[in-house]
Amino acid sequence: MLKLENLKKSFGGVAATRDVTLDFADGSLSAIIGPNGAGKTTLFNLITGRFPIDSGRIVLAGEDISGLSRREIVRRGIGRAFQVASLFPTLTVREALAAAAQAHQRRETSMLVGFPTAAAMKHADEVMELLGLTRVAGILSRNLSHGDQKLLDIGLALALEPKVLLLDEPTAGMGPEERWRMIETVQRLWRARGMTLIFIEHDMDIVFKVAQTVRVLSYGAVLAEGTPEEVRRNPLVIEAYLGKSAHGTAEGAAA
Amino acid sequence: MDLDALMRCVGTTSCIVTQLTSGMIIGMLLFLIASGVTLIFGVLNVINFAHGSLYMIGAYAAWTFYQLTGSYFISAFGAAVAVGILGIAFERFLMSKVYGSNVLMQLLVCYAVVLISDDLIKIIWGPVSLSMGMPVEFRLPPLRFFGGVVPPFYIFMIVAAMAIGLLLWLVIARTRFGNIVRAAAVNGPMVSALGIRVNLYYAAVFGIGSALAGAAGALAAPVRSLTPGMGFSILIESFIVTVIGGMGSIVGAFVASIIIGLTRSFGSIGFPLFVDGVMFLIMALVLIFKPSGLFGRPHNR
Amino acid sequence: MTGRWRDLAWAGAGLIALLLVPVFGAPPAIRDFIMFGMAYGLLAMSLNLLIGYSGLVSFGHAMFFASGAYAFGLAMQSGKFSIPAAFALAIVFTAALALIVGAICVRLNEIYFAFLTLAFQMLFYNVILGWVSFTGGDQGLMGGIPRPKFLGIDLADRTQLYVFCCVAFIICIAILRQLVTSPFGYTLRLIRDNQERAAFLGVNVPLVKLTCFVISACVAGVGGILLTLFVSGAYPNFGFWTTSGEAIFMILLGGSNVFLGPLVGTVILRLLNDITVTYTSHTELVLGIVILILVLGLRKGPLDLIAERLENRRQAAAQAVRDAADAGAAETRKGGS
Repeated sequence: MLKLENLKKSFGGVAATRDVTLDFADGSLSAIIGPNGAGKTTLFNLITGRFPIDSGRIVLAGEDISGLSRREIVRRGIGRAFQVASLFPTLTVREALAAAAQAHQRRETSMLVGFPTAAAMKHADEVMELLGLTRVAGILSRNLSHGDQKLLDIGLALALEPKVLLLDEPTAGMGPEERWRMIETVQRLWRARGMTLIFIEHDMDIVFKVAQTVRVLSYGAVLAEGTPEEVRRNPLVIEAYLGKSAHGTAEGAAA
Repeated sequence: MDLDALMRCVGTTSCIVTQLTSGMIIGMLLFLIASGVTLIFGVLNVINFAHGSLYMIGAYAAWTFYQLTGSYFISAFGAAVAVGILGIAFERFLMSKVYGSNVLMQLLVCYAVVLISDDLIKIIWGPVSLSMGMPVEFRLPPLRFFGGVVPPFYIFMIVAAMAIGLLLWLVIARTRFGNIVRAAAVNGPMVSALGIRVNLYYAAVFGIGSALAGAAGALAAPVRSLTPGMGFSILIESFIVTVIGGMGSIVGAFVASIIIGLTRSFGSIGFPLFVDGVMFLIMALVLIFKPSGLFGRPHNR
Repeated sequence: MTGRWRDLAWAGAGLIALLLVPVFGAPPAIRDFIMFGMAYGLLAMSLNLLIGYSGLVSFGHAMFFASGAYAFGLAMQSGKFSIPAAFALAIVFTAALALIVGAICVRLNEIYFAFLTLAFQMLFYNVILGWVSFTGGDQGLMGGIPRPKFLGIDLADRTQLYVFCCVAFIICIAILRQLVTSPFGYTLRLIRDNQERAAFLGVNVPLVKLTCFVISACVAGVGGILLTLFVSGAYPNFGFWTTSGEAIFMILLGGSNVFLGPLVGTVILRLLNDITVTYTSHTELVLGIVILILVLGLRKGPLDLIAERLENRRQAAAQAVRDAADAGAAETRKGGS
């Protein structure tokens, strides 16, 4: 579904992305991990067209989307949630999702009818249901708790019915219990909608339990990829990411 | 449009000299005001729409001091200092309250100050325009360059403005004060965290910027008529200069003000009705092709 | 759907209320006050479409007020157009002007957008001042505005003029209301709140901004036309920076987050002006002080404060819903594990 071919990107003299080639199968659920500064968010930014790529190609469902504008890329089916939730503070959850839905339905410049249209409202309700946001439907986005904000952030991307959904650290800033609930929600929506889902994550337990494939980035390059088991046992990964004196996972690898 | 007249002028050295100096003094006045605006914006991230009023107060203050003391230099210096202090008060009591707010709030506070100062000037000095006339120190025979006539005061204005500009640049670029100010421009809270009382520096910067406007007013007083509305038109021009030169760049303000000054002086011969139009056109072009200005840092917002 | 009918009912009620004023023999001063209020009200309301709903702070909006006024005035003075035709012509001219200015300005960020709109306005103002043979320069369009009858309506009659203006005014307000409650209106809010995310939702941000700019300009143009009809002339200060500044102040005074806020602000400002003038000639001083008190003291328009109170109550109710749901969910989890 999504192929990255030899992507390169530098900022000034710093090579943020070095010759990255990755292939994400249709409907797969994969994780991207790597130490801080490995270039994970930059990769997302390149895919969504936020930064122009220096060289390489991005191919979505067989179509080369490298160099297209952000709007074009979104219209072709790439959705993204952000590390720090990027919301619309003065709109309620329902309004924000309905507005996103109407943008997806290409009715966002319609002037003669009332907001929200029935179709947009229906779509918004579905997304809220899927993410467990129905209970906060009437709350202003800026008044939401951190967890709900992250959910809404995902919801705004989901409302566009993306073929590929990129989640940038969906569990960031959450306590252990909330984190599992979030990742369960992510799994639930992945099963319900069947899109290709890629998420960046730091919690190894979550990654190894949930992801089908894991890609490891380090210093902007792909260090390893494979099933969670393979990656967990990969000595390069252990050394680069988990450290030589790692706990838990290293012992598991040794066993 | 009288391009023939313009051509004829460029053909004679006397005309060139006259227009050149005329353009230079316009430019230098603009430079002083614009560098105040750009300094305040660069460090405090605030557009001081009341800057024209400070210029006006400087001119009126210089006029009054001259009536009282009969010495131009004392008057000019006094005016600059007075306006500088006024600027600090303005900053501490009014502007600092709207630092984080959006442009609208800043605009309104400045708009209010403009209205108040316009009316106060009318009340204190009357609505009729005043004239200072050439100060005693400069009632000298005009100098002759290449057949052109240049009043000595013009030379003084140009030299004074350049000297002030150079001093300003040196202070910002080379002194400890300047370093702190530049650091505060990039990251105020951080500088504060280093134990430096940033607010004092902010006030100082505003004071300096205001003093620049006051100095410009004092320099302009002998050669312009003083009216309560004089602040506004020069304000717009100084904004044009700031935009063209680049927000936050003193060098940019210098270059841009010379461009505008010369456009004005030569333009008033060649296309008198369109001079303003040409200025706005240049600004529009800069905003379209290089929004950060000729020398400005690109704003990644 | 009930919202739409309610809005229409309000519009109808408003129109009737306005129309009853001359019937009940109110002195001409009140009628005049209302006329001014309607013209400037349209300026402020249209500007709020940009400032309050889209987050586009324009410093030069009075330009379109003036362009509507002058285009209409000149068209009528030429004698070649009927009033409806001149009306349409003035709107088309204003729209074209807004298209050009907007296309250049909307791509810039906040501060530069504000500057450039101001620059274009002052450019327009200078053209008006400079083109003396065409526009009368600083004297304005002199000689009055001819008012030939059209469709049996005679605008030389003060009462008929008043009715005409009321109708035009209410129609414009209704148009603005419809825009603001439509999908387009919510897309504007998306752009205001988070332009980048809006782009990420597939919204064509520059195009939407431009559309909003042009529509807003046209409504301001109508305001200018009404004023021209009322004072029988057009003057350069229609397009001066102080007029733009007053419009922004009207918005602040009434509140930018409530639909009718700017209109309320217009009324308050005009009242303030009229009252101050009877006591002192120093209107600017008083206005300046009032602005300072409002900006530094209240920080919001009075209508905004009221709206905030209501919104807080609504939020409290919504939060209660959430808390109940969360408590229920926690119970279920405890029961399950």
